[in-house]
Amino acid sequence: MKDRFSIRKYIFSVLCCLGLVVCASAQDLRFTTSVSSNAVTLDEPFQIQFMLENGTNITSFTPPSFKDFEVLQGPSQMQGQSIFNGRRSEYFALNYVLQPKHVGSFTIPGAQARVNGNVIKSNPVLIEVRKGNAQAQQPQQQPQQAIPQHRAQSGGGISEELSDGILKKGEDISEKLKKNIFLKVEVDKTNLYEGDQLTATYKLYTRLPTNSSVTKVPAFKGFSAKDIELPNPPQATEERVNGVPYKVFTIRKTLLFPLQSGTLELDPVEVDNQVRLVKLVGNGKRNRNGRDPFEDFFNDPAFKDPFFDDFFNRPEVEYQDVPYKIQSNPIKINVKPLPVEGRPLSYNGAVGNFKMTAVVDKTTLSTDDALTLKVTISGHGNVNLLNAPKVEVPSGFEKYDPKMTDDIEKNSNPLSGSRQFEYVLMPQEAGKHTIPAVEFSYFDPAANAYKTLRSEAFVIDITQGKRVKEDKHDFGVGKNDLVKIDGGIQQWTKSRSWFIISPWFYALLILPLLIAGAVIFYKRRKDYNTTNAALLKHRYANKVALKRLELAARYLKEGKDKAFYEETSRAVWGYLSHKLKIPFADLSKQLIQDKLAARHINGTNTSDLFELIDNCEVALYAPAHNNDKMQGTYSKAVTIISNLEDALKN
Amino acid sequence: MRKGSMPGYKNIKTALLLAILLLTGSILRAQQALPQQRFDAANSLYQQSKFTEAAAAYQQLIDEGYAIKALYFNAGNAYYKAGKTGEAVFNYEKALQLAPRDEAAKHNLALANQKVNGFVDELPLVFFQQWWRQLQQLHKPNGWAVGCILFFWLVIAGVMLNTFLPGWKNKFLRWGNYALGALFALYLVMAIDTYAVANNHQSGIITHSNIKVKTAPDDNSKDAFEVQEGMKVHIADATKDYCKISLADGKTGWISCAWIKRL
Repeated sequence: MKDRFSIRKYIFSVLCCLGLVVCASAQDLRFTTSVSSNAVTLDEPFQIQFMLENGTNITSFTPPSFKDFEVLQGPSQMQGQSIFNGRRSEYFALNYVLQPKHVGSFTIPGAQARVNGNVIKSNPVLIEVRKGNAQAQQPQQQPQQAIPQHRAQSGGGISEELSDGILKKGEDISEKLKKNIFLKVEVDKTNLYEGDQLTATYKLYTRLPTNSSVTKVPAFKGFSAKDIELPNPPQATEERVNGVPYKVFTIRKTLLFPLQSGTLELDPVEVDNQVRLVKLVGNGKRNRNGRDPFEDFFNDPAFKDPFFDDFFNRPEVEYQDVPYKIQSNPIKINVKPLPVEGRPLSYNGAVGNFKMTAVVDKTTLSTDDALTLKVTISGHGNVNLLNAPKVEVPSGFEKYDPKMTDDIEKNSNPLSGSRQFEYVLMPQEAGKHTIPAVEFSYFDPAANAYKTLRSEAFVIDITQGKRVKEDKHDFGVGKNDLVKIDGGIQQWTKSRSWFIISPWFYALLILPLLIAGAVIFYKRRKDYNTTNAALLKHRYANKVALKRLELAARYLKEGKDKAFYEETSRAVWGYLSHKLKIPFADLSKQLIQDKLAARHINGTNTSDLFELIDNCEVALYAPAHNNDKMQGTYSKAVTIISNLEDALKN
Repeated sequence: MRKGSMPGYKNIKTALLLAILLLTGSILRAQQALPQQRFDAANSLYQQSKFTEAAAAYQQLIDEGYAIKALYFNAGNAYYKAGKTGEAVFNYEKALQLAPRDEAAKHNLALANQKVNGFVDELPLVFFQQWWRQLQQLHKPNGWAVGCILFFWLVIAGVMLNTFLPGWKNKFLRWGNYALGALFALYLVMAIDTYAVANNHQSGIITHSNIKVKTAPDDNSKDAFEVQEGMKVHIADATKDYCKISLADGKTGWISCAWIKRL
């Protein structure tokens, strides 16, 4: 995540100048074994040197046994001192020229020396002996022998690179490059827990003068990486691999924190080299041939000057720049997931060894103020990946996201430093509040267990501030503030009344139906009654009329002519009223005539009827006692009614 | 004498007891001040930034059955300030049920929802749903019911006039009756719908944080996802202990009904 590498480009150049490489730490005691070549053919002599630098008070110096080699020459002892850049160094060396007896790999153990009473040992050397090659053997033999001689002259004993830059005749360039330049990745562990720290160092080993540039940097997929700053320009150190000294440049040193479990791979790094090789031309060979290997032994160190060598031994050389691309091997890292059991609830990814402090800046404040809670986690481990510990803020505080401040020690390994989380808490509510203890857990890979740190709880006393946040309550101003509470007088009704489920609703729905029903019923009944009465009247009209006529007949007998005419007239009118369904008040001759006409009753019946009615009226208003006439009227009335009855029957 | 005095004594005792009971009752009634006074007291607690106490006071009034928008709204505010998001959301939703067009309650609900982790806004309604909703808010629920009654009366009256009074018989009245009938039907549907919507209790608010939602109504079933305090959920189904909830984003699962406060 925090991979800050990808853009950064490393370019470093390496220039080895002939003959002037000096041990960086001249005053250090060093006891080393070096050989002119690690891989030799059978019957090929090589030189081995045990060099003790800055050793004072050497009381014994025991070389190892060379049981698989034949000592051709030696021991030749060298002793001397050199002053370089104002620093003095002394050395004491034993040289042997050896020849292998068998084919195979042999380890020559280091020599032992007693310096200042302490026994020290030089490093062992691995020699690989191959089958001899008749053609190659002869030309190779000479230059190989020449190397230690030269190194010895330079005083420091570290300048083999120079001569390795020389391309000898018959030597394969790619073979030589392969042997003398390579990349190595060093990791301090390959099996670790998720979040634990791992240090990866990418190194370039070279024995040749080269101009190198890094073309591909690893991306560290699945890791959080933190680079350690390297000196610029890069500084070379010296390291011996199998007794052969190499100049070593650290390309990149990175602290890695795996972010996931499983098998992760460290990507390789790629370096482009421009190797400057020196080609010897015939001249040099002659000179070398003239030198006697035994000469070394007698040579005075004062004589052995690099300049001397340069001037007299290699007058004719040719340079050749060879491009050479190398790649380091990818490395597999096995990342274990953190154990599940015993994982505290507050655990959120910290691995290492930490301490925690938590402080609040004040314990009494008003609601106008703000409170700051600072939680500092320091120690070593994945400091750069620490998550904020969860602070359980009680209600009544407004919490903001913590501010994070890092104080990570530069180039510390393991990564150490501190991370500070600053929580700003705004008290909202007056009263005594307790902020519970801050809890932080981490996994300690050394102890292989989770550990939990806990601060104290803080009791905060909050008083009501002066500022009532009126402005904040304004709806228009702060879109992020609450609309203030409703005051005022409310109508205190308990739960909402639902009209739709109240009986009143249904009562009011049914009521109009009832009313309508009642109206309809009444109307129906009235209609029925009216129609029914008319029917009856119609049906009994004859009877009523005859009854009335009977009454008239009595009056006739008694001689009450006025009553007789009245009754007869009433009988006729009543009959007509009932039979023709005409209200009594509406009766008129015209209406009766129309009605009868509508029923197709015409002719004599109608004229007789009207004659009868006229007669009655005349008799009523102009009384004249005439018994026969009255008799005639009576019988006429009876006939007319019965005639009409017949006609109206249908 | 002694024998006679005993029952009298007893009578006095019972009378005393009664008096004491009555007294305490009246004292209790006196302590139980008028809701308006208690509401004001809670408001002043709120103004003094004692939100937890204010919330408790409001809650007491709510528990007694008072259902007033201002009460729910203020309770929501107090719970919000006291940091109880779930209760705040619940009370704002309640206030909005009582006054669906209250801007302040809508605003504060939106604020409270901002505090809800993983809050998913409900899907916007389709236009006709919006129209329906707006139409619903044209009247209060009781308004719909009253309108329903009114139109029913008018329809009946119109029909009667049309049928029984020959002088009123014309096509305008007939068409008027049809229109009144349609309005009656609409008001009846609306009255029933608003009642049903307000009383279905098919949604609720989650009251606790980090509740694991199960795939089946069973303690041993797999966890599907988590719900947080203050989330509004739809209750699609329920067994005795478990409720099937569905979220606005379509996720469904079962949680214990105890974690849901039904609206």
